Amino acid sequence: MLPFLIQIEDGLPVSDQIIQAVRKAMLTGQLAQGDEFPSVRTLSQELRISPTTAHKVVATLKDAGYLASRPGIGMVVTAPKLPERDDRLDHLQPLCSELLKEAQDLHLNFDDIVTALRQAADDNGFLEPAARSSSLGKKSKS
Amino acid sequence: MKPIIEVRQLRKRFKKTLAVDGLDLIVPEGAVMAFLGPNGAGKTTTIKCLLNIHEPDAGAVNVLGIDSRRLGPAEFRQIAYVSENQELPLWMTVRQFLDYCRPMYPNWDAAFATKLMKQFDLPPEGKLKSLSRGMKMKAALLSSLAYRPKLVVLDEPFSGLDPLVRDEFIRGMLELTENEGWTVFVSYHDIEEVERMADRVAILHRGKLQLNESAEDLQSRFRAVEIVLNGEDPQSHAFPESWLNVETAGRLLRFTDSRYAESALNAAMAKHLPTAKHFQAKPMTLREIFVALARTYRLNGLMAQS
Repeated sequence: MLPFLIQIEDGLPVSDQIIQAVRKAMLTGQLAQGDEFPSVRTLSQELRISPTTAHKVVATLKDAGYLASRPGIGMVVTAPKLPERDDRLDHLQPLCSELLKEAQDLHLNFDDIVTALRQAADDNGFLEPAARSSSLGKKSKS
Repeated sequence: MKPIIEVRQLRKRFKKTLAVDGLDLIVPEGAVMAFLGPNGAGKTTTIKCLLNIHEPDAGAVNVLGIDSRRLGPAEFRQIAYVSENQELPLWMTVRQFLDYCRPMYPNWDAAFATKLMKQFDLPPEGKLKSLSRGMKMKAALLSSLAYRPKLVVLDEPFSGLDPLVRDEFIRGMLELTENEGWTVFVSYHDIEEVERMADRVAILHRGKLQLNESAEDLQSRFRAVEIVLNGEDPQSHAFPESWLNVETAGRLLRFTDSRYAESALNAAMAKHLPTAKHFQAKPMTLREIFVALARTYRLNGLMAQS
């Protein structure tokens, strides 16, 4: 079994989807610093993906500072430095476009979208980064 | 990357049938290549030429850097071959069968064989003839993986296997993932089972190669496009050749764009459908791409005949 949630969807490159899933698992705390990360073989077997793809996923995560090799253990999760704010914002762009499109189809204006977002934040218990890191008992880095 | 299989202008004829007609094919080391095509496309003949079971009529075939006609025991120790019609010594038990194979392969990994036997749920004392088709295929795969081959060649391995066995089969094979430069060449008439595993796709049609491309490139250049028409008559247009399987339904024009780029699509729309405004381009799965291509080849084949 893999230590992070992933549901591979049709149409998008598998490697991108896995990288996204891993990054998300790190943000939500499913994967924490020092956790063992599955080997290339386990990744390829569990997800039924080609060794090349599995290698690529691990190499990409390593380059980005999410994984490090530890002799005798294999791969471990390392504290990823949060990407630049701009990069994190870029991450939201596709979701924003979709939201805007949907709002347009429903003849809702920008204020309506903000209202809906506030509502959703309340419903889902959205925590601001500062509140979130203290609730997880971690020091916020900045 | 150096090629592990290299085929140049391969031709093979059986009496009146030209099974393989000038095939060029390169499989890079480390690839998992899906070798696809309808039944009768020439897949099995190609594979038999690769493995020195058939002698090519013309052309050059190199496997592991050696002319296929000169492949010998030293190379076959590095090649696994499992085919749909695998012949097995049916009177043997699974254990006897493995004991029989073992001395032929100096690199036989007994611990690995035991692990696979468990994973495949094979009964060591069961006679091969009493096993189901799926079990027999798993036994055949096990006997080929146990020596950690460099090249795994599978000819229609999934035909007639139930989904669970197919999955076990793939999982078992991926045990070899960490072997350096390990390469898989798997033929199938459909992409279904190998869709996620394949990082390269080759399509054979009427003995000729139609395509040999990485899965990633295919997925980046193919899109399922829908355009909402604004009263034009799409029949009166000559659309770009890269638009495959153009269809209309009501106001909707639907096709597969095989050279997708947003700017190019916008330009083509402005040229061919000036009043249409709205389009949607969705990424496609390898399976959808395969189906779109298969339809195109069939149509082209029909047009060439008439």
